[in-house]
Amino acid sequence: MNVPVSDPCKNPRYLIPLLTLGGLLMLPLSNAMAGQAPTIKLFPTTVLEEIRHTGDVAKEMETGLQPVIQRLDQQQQLYQGSKCEGGEGDPGCERIARQLGDTYLEMLGIMADRLPEMEQAVNSTSESLEKRLRKELGRKKTPWSLQELILGEQTGQAEDQKPALRGRSGMRLSTRFSQYYKLVARPGTKANASMAVVASDIYLDMQETSQLIARTREEINRATLMEQLNQSFGTITPEMQEVVAGVKAILFGEEEEVMPIAEAAPGRPDDEFQSPLKL
Amino acid sequence: MKNIGIVRLFFVAALAGLLSACNSNPSHETACSPPSGHNLDQAMSAARFDLETGCEARFDDYLVRLLAIAEGDPGKENKAKFSDFLLWANEEGLLSKRQAREVYNRYFGIKYVSMIGEYSVCSAACPRQPDLMREMKEELSDKETGLLKVSGDRRSYQRAHQLYREAELVLEATCMACGPTR
Repeated sequence: MNVPVSDPCKNPRYLIPLLTLGGLLMLPLSNAMAGQAPTIKLFPTTVLEEIRHTGDVAKEMETGLQPVIQRLDQQQQLYQGSKCEGGEGDPGCERIARQLGDTYLEMLGIMADRLPEMEQAVNSTSESLEKRLRKELGRKKTPWSLQELILGEQTGQAEDQKPALRGRSGMRLSTRFSQYYKLVARPGTKANASMAVVASDIYLDMQETSQLIARTREEINRATLMEQLNQSFGTITPEMQEVVAGVKAILFGEEEEVMPIAEAAPGRPDDEFQSPLKL
Repeated sequence: MKNIGIVRLFFVAALAGLLSACNSNPSHETACSPPSGHNLDQAMSAARFDLETGCEARFDDYLVRLLAIAEGDPGKENKAKFSDFLLWANEEGLLSKRQAREVYNRYFGIKYVSMIGEYSVCSAACPRQPDLMREMKEELSDKETGLLKVSGDRRSYQRAHQLYREAELVLEATCMACGPTR
């Protein structure tokens, strides 16, 4: 016999039992896998990194803007406290107004410097999520299987494991991205059902943020020019106040607008009637 | 002569009897009036009788009436009663199996039969997203009737409502991602 007995992999006497044993060992695994829904990949590592990077960029922008905005607030309070509104001819008021205008221009300058990077980060994350949503939910799912996914039946995910999003406003931009990152990257929240909702929420948020940034960038040049003109008159315009208020709202959030987008739904009762007609 | 008078009287009485018998026979429309009252079991029995004796064309009216009666006495057991009723309707040939399933799930299921489809979300749902959302909203209203008012199953209704909100969000994002070409 040419086949060496010592090598069980080449000996038919051993090969068949080996294959049988292997098959038996694989059986529970294949059964377990057959019961699982195909995994959807909405947050691969690249997307996670992009979300984290966007958060970092937002943080840098906030850090740069915060002292300037604080200074603007103080100058504005001083202006109002000195009853300068309507008293434009007063030299003291003109000085405060000019200082205020300088700070305002400084704020616009920081935004003009930082916004392109922010826009790029947001757009990049948005495009990655768009591709994922299109592929994993748009093309792989039917409307019926999509709602099964959302409901969590395919993964058997417990309702109390669903993450609760806190909405798109009401917090700092960087905090928002930080929360998104934690939400999609933390262990134990890989279940598909909640991720579809989270991914959709982040994507829609990115779209809005991207549009907002584009509009803001367009406005900055015009606002800078206007303020340079106003500087020669030494006045505070309502537009200045609006722009500052807008920037504060975008970057630092508005506490009163906290609204949950998705919240944990109650659990399923065990004794629920199961109709033979149930789909 | 007396005999002739008696015969005439008898004939007139018989004719009157026949006529009154004809009047007491309900017309087809009257016979097919959906049941009233407050007892769901009795109403379902009456509905079954009518539906298998010529009133099958008015199945929807009967169902709506039965749901209204059940609203008067909500309970989880009502789900089973309506399930049995729809299974019976299927066995009697009043509804196909698919129709029975769709009706049951429209009222008592958490998932939306409006979202039944065999093609991808991009190609099937996105081109008619506004219509789909409107249909789902109407179905949510039926689920309010079935799950909440008839079955008293607040938890399931909340899940259906939550599903509606989340499906709206996910569809909006997915259809935006699918783009206009789809």
